[in-house]
Amino acid sequence: MRVPLSWLKEYVEITQSPEELAHTLTMAGLEVEAIEYIGKSWGDKIITAQIDHLEKVEGSDHLNYTKINTGSGQINVICGAPNIQLGDKVPLALPGAQVGDITISETRKFGYVSQGMLCSPRELGMGNDHSGIYILEPETKLGQPLMDLLGEIVLDFSIKAHRGDLSSIIGIAREVAALTKQPLRLPEPRFQEQGTPASDLVKVSVEDSELCPRYTARVLSNIQVGPSPAWMARRLLAAGLRPISNVVDITNYVLLEFGQPLHSFDYDLVPDHHIIVRRAHAGEEMKTLDDVKRKLTPEMLVIADPTGPTAIAGVMGGARSEVSDKTTTVLLESANFKGGSVRRTSSTLGLRTDASSHFEKGLDPELALAGTNRAVQLLTELAGGLAHPGVVDHYPNPVQPRVLDFSTDDVEWLTSMKVTQSEASDALNALNFTVAAAEDGKRMQVTVPTYRTDVTQEADLVEEVIRLIGYEHIPSTIPDGPLPEQTIDRWFEREQQIRNLLIGAGLNEIVTYTLISRTRMVKLLAQTDLASASVLLRAPNRSAAQEEARIQASNTSTATTSFDPHTLPAVALVNPLTADQEVLRLTLMSNLLEIIQENSKHNKSGLRFFEVGRRYLPAETKSQLPDERRTAAFALCGPAENTWLPELARPADFYDLKGVVEALLSGLKIRRYRFTPTQHPTFHPGRCALLELAYENESGDEAFSPIGVLGEVHPLVQQRYDLPHRAYLCELDLEHLYAAVPQQINYQPISRHQELTRDLALVVDQRIAAQDIQDTIVRHAGKLLHSIALFDVYTGDPIPAGKKNLTYTLVYQAQDRTLKDTEANELQERIIRLLNEDFGAVLR
Amino acid sequence: MIGQLEQLLGQLDTLRVRAIEELEPINTSAGLEDWDTRYLGRNRGELKSLSSVMPKLSKEERPIVGQKINAVKSELERRLNEKREELKQRELLLALEQERIDVTLPGRMLPAGTMHPLSRTIQEITDIFVRMGFSVLQGLEVETDYHNFQALNIPTDHPARDMQDTFWVSPGEVLLRTQTSPMQIRTMEQLQPPVRVVVPGKVYRNEDVDATHEAMFHQIEGLLIDEVCTMADLKGCLERFVHELFGPERRLRFRGSYFPFTEPSAEVDISCGLCDGKGCRSCKYSGWLEVLGSGMVHPNVLRNVGYDPKKYRGFAFGVGVERIAMLKYGIGEIRLFSGNDLRFLRQL
Ligand SMILES: [Zn+2]
Repeated sequence: MRVPLSWLKEYVEITQSPEELAHTLTMAGLEVEAIEYIGKSWGDKIITAQIDHLEKVEGSDHLNYTKINTGSGQINVICGAPNIQLGDKVPLALPGAQVGDITISETRKFGYVSQGMLCSPRELGMGNDHSGIYILEPETKLGQPLMDLLGEIVLDFSIKAHRGDLSSIIGIAREVAALTKQPLRLPEPRFQEQGTPASDLVKVSVEDSELCPRYTARVLSNIQVGPSPAWMARRLLAAGLRPISNVVDITNYVLLEFGQPLHSFDYDLVPDHHIIVRRAHAGEEMKTLDDVKRKLTPEMLVIADPTGPTAIAGVMGGARSEVSDKTTTVLLESANFKGGSVRRTSSTLGLRTDASSHFEKGLDPELALAGTNRAVQLLTELAGGLAHPGVVDHYPNPVQPRVLDFSTDDVEWLTSMKVTQSEASDALNALNFTVAAAEDGKRMQVTVPTYRTDVTQEADLVEEVIRLIGYEHIPSTIPDGPLPEQTIDRWFEREQQIRNLLIGAGLNEIVTYTLISRTRMVKLLAQTDLASASVLLRAPNRSAAQEEARIQASNTSTATTSFDPHTLPAVALVNPLTADQEVLRLTLMSNLLEIIQENSKHNKSGLRFFEVGRRYLPAETKSQLPDERRTAAFALCGPAENTWLPELARPADFYDLKGVVEALLSGLKIRRYRFTPTQHPTFHPGRCALLELAYENESGDEAFSPIGVLGEVHPLVQQRYDLPHRAYLCELDLEHLYAAVPQQINYQPISRHQELTRDLALVVDQRIAAQDIQDTIVRHAGKLLHSIALFDVYTGDPIPAGKKNLTYTLVYQAQDRTLKDTEANELQERIIRLLNEDFGAVLR
Repeated sequence: MIGQLEQLLGQLDTLRVRAIEELEPINTSAGLEDWDTRYLGRNRGELKSLSSVMPKLSKEERPIVGQKINAVKSELERRLNEKREELKQRELLLALEQERIDVTLPGRMLPAGTMHPLSRTIQEITDIFVRMGFSVLQGLEVETDYHNFQALNIPTDHPARDMQDTFWVSPGEVLLRTQTSPMQIRTMEQLQPPVRVVVPGKVYRNEDVDATHEAMFHQIEGLLIDEVCTMADLKGCLERFVHELFGPERRLRFRGSYFPFTEPSAEVDISCGLCDGKGCRSCKYSGWLEVLGSGMVHPNVLRNVGYDPKKYRGFAFGVGVERIAMLKYGIGEIRLFSGNDLRFLRQL
């Protein structure tokens, strides 16, 4: 809200500098966002002047050649504005003047010399009006600095949502008066009334007093619509409004001054002169002042006449009864409408106006009369109006001021600040609250002014008292109450643990938007079909069949396998900001690949990222909360480091990725897991695995359940993201991961007995998984096997084609005795025999 | 016979001088072994040959010659050993010289990963409150209208809803939380006082994105409820927070504000670190920077979760993590956080 200081000064003495005043108000909760100095840059280079001569420039369709009287001489100016006339007094910028971003200098156009510039309000920094030159009052003295005439200081306030009463100059003046201990001077409208009483001229029927607690109507005849006086136009401009005509400007002026929205109807365009305040009928329509036809609903309150709606209550007037140059009699509405209703109506219509935003904050019904009287005074003074006696006032339930029981103990209870009775009542009195001591002499009865709709209980009064006394007087202490028991939720530290482990593995953390589009996610699928899409919805606690059924249900296509990406089930926003961010993500993988793609433009190495965040799996219906799955995902693409050392300059491969997973598991002390080859639409069909963690099933046996997937990104997908190298990607469900983290780890004593080491070199078929061989060895070697390590994998001469050589080192050790050579040898032979039976493995 | 003795002693002297002269320039082990054989060889060494005349000497002469021979022998042996040692060291040095590498070449570094500046900032902030006895909780990002608005004293038609443009999943029912404050409600619904929690997390606003606004950003909510707890405690906690995070020289300023779920409410500013409160461009010449909103939990909110406002009171605050990180690291553009450019991430 823009408040010209000169206007504010009309109601309260201002003793402080604008900066000091801004500080005082800001500290008390009335935030000044900016102080604007209109005219500060004008100096003596922009002066008042008069047009002495005006002729068309030959060869131009809009330029005029003028001679301008500067008071002390005459200069030539070329001007393109359409509104100037001979004799007009205007602001003239002389060479050297700073107008916006340009410095005025002498120029030559169409053979004429132009020695200055005439300015529009916008060029002067006085609002947005750029339709013509700012025309000064005829009595303006020539040659004086424009700053002396139009210079202004404007305070720009940010008004908090609950203080509707502050959305007015008088409201702010009240705060200034209270905070600077100055008296308030309110305007007291005085005017003559004559002719037929208003009550004989207009009939008001309010059918819905709930939504319209008060409706007042006044009638003024003999109105002459014309321009507003310069002083009013200037104030409106400084406050950010464009002057239009006296009648419209006066309603705007009173809105700014009192915060009471007013509406003027052309009396002769209201059939039967009968105002009916009612809800709209279903299917009703009306054209508003902005010439748009609006569809109305029974939710909305309208101002109607017997033929139909003629204004939308508290939002905007109608075209049918609009005041024009021909208007001679005005019906002036000053009413109170319920904030919630106005808010709903204006948001349904997508129509926010100055009036609606004032009503939304909740206005005092008492204001309606003060506002209308002020407008009548101005209309009689400035528009020739004759005021008809009386106000038609529908106000069935006058608002009763609220009385609150209050004590200085309430202040101490919430702030530890000790205030005396008189300090508290002084503060409240300054803000127009009435304070009466209760009989016990300790508590007070505080009467709240009706415009303070926000003050409803003791805590609100505490705030009023401390903001008047000053927040800086509140002491500072450290809470010394009992410490609560620590909680339940370990997820924050768990996520930090995952972050630290992945950072240790050389990965860089990213934080990306969880809002994404379905199309961006479907990009992850090498083939866009139903089964592939269902994988995006997969979670360890859902079956594949469930997901496919869901997709099937939402899929509109008739073909069973083809899939329209727009039907992908996801947590969708009703009002997305962009089509690119229409849903919450089902996977973290899209973001990772996008970030790699973006970074690959500037980096040849180090494309190694992870994110710890959530996937959002939709619930059955939109009104249920989705499943927010805590997830970690990471990706490697290309070399770790751009370096001369070949082992680091080597592009990442599957085993680098798997190594990260293994490092993570080892950091979490998860020891029982396996990797199983799998198929996934995002990944290379031969280079993709499920990570499965062991758990004990109902019968007490070890079983495995998948918690994530890892693999080489499918070449088709890699191409879509334009990645410079093959990329490796993994996504893990953290909730299931942590379910496998041991709660308690028991130390196993380190055996003091000797270890026996045996190597085992096997030749097996290429297609046999190393994991299966190792599992078999571990299973059969039993407790005596202390450790096993695969230290060589070899193919090629002399190993036959289609075979591979795997060499393991097995270490045998017992906890309680020294193992005999023969024991180890027997075990070794048994293992070899079983491997031969199961896998056709032979010793090399 | 005396002449023979003198001749012999003279020969020994000559031999000694010659041997030493020859030893000097030898620089290989092989040369040294040759020298050793020639002069000190047990069978045909020159010293041996000279001592073979010993039996021909008289009883008196023998000890004189014997002494001399021994002296020469032990001197030559000493010099041989010294030379041997010297040669061994020189050869080792030579061998090591062959293994010289360029120590200025870059090392075999697996570059350490980096924590995102937002995660790091969240960690730093929560650590400070954990030291004051707070627990760290997480909440839901998709929330109900009740938890995000109604229970926080923001009924359906409340104008404060306009302060936070909302992304709706199901209008009037389900939304992306606009603040971390719904966790105040969920926490108090679950726990009995005393309560001390901080809740970091993502929040969403349907607002146009610019240099200081994102549609998704991070907040940390703080909540303390107890039988005794006032705005003075709020002040003390926040002062400690700011001093630990930004340094003890920073000043705090509490001023009036409005949040529907706190009463009284306070905006907290800290003195600008660039100009020390004197006013500069980054603080818009005010000397102060807005860092967080706070206040005493509104009695209506306490009632909504079944706490008795006559018995319990407490404070709540909300910090914008991006804002703090921008102030702390001197970042002028909020979109860098979601951009995740390595050149940005690796700096912080
Ligand atoms: Zn500064």
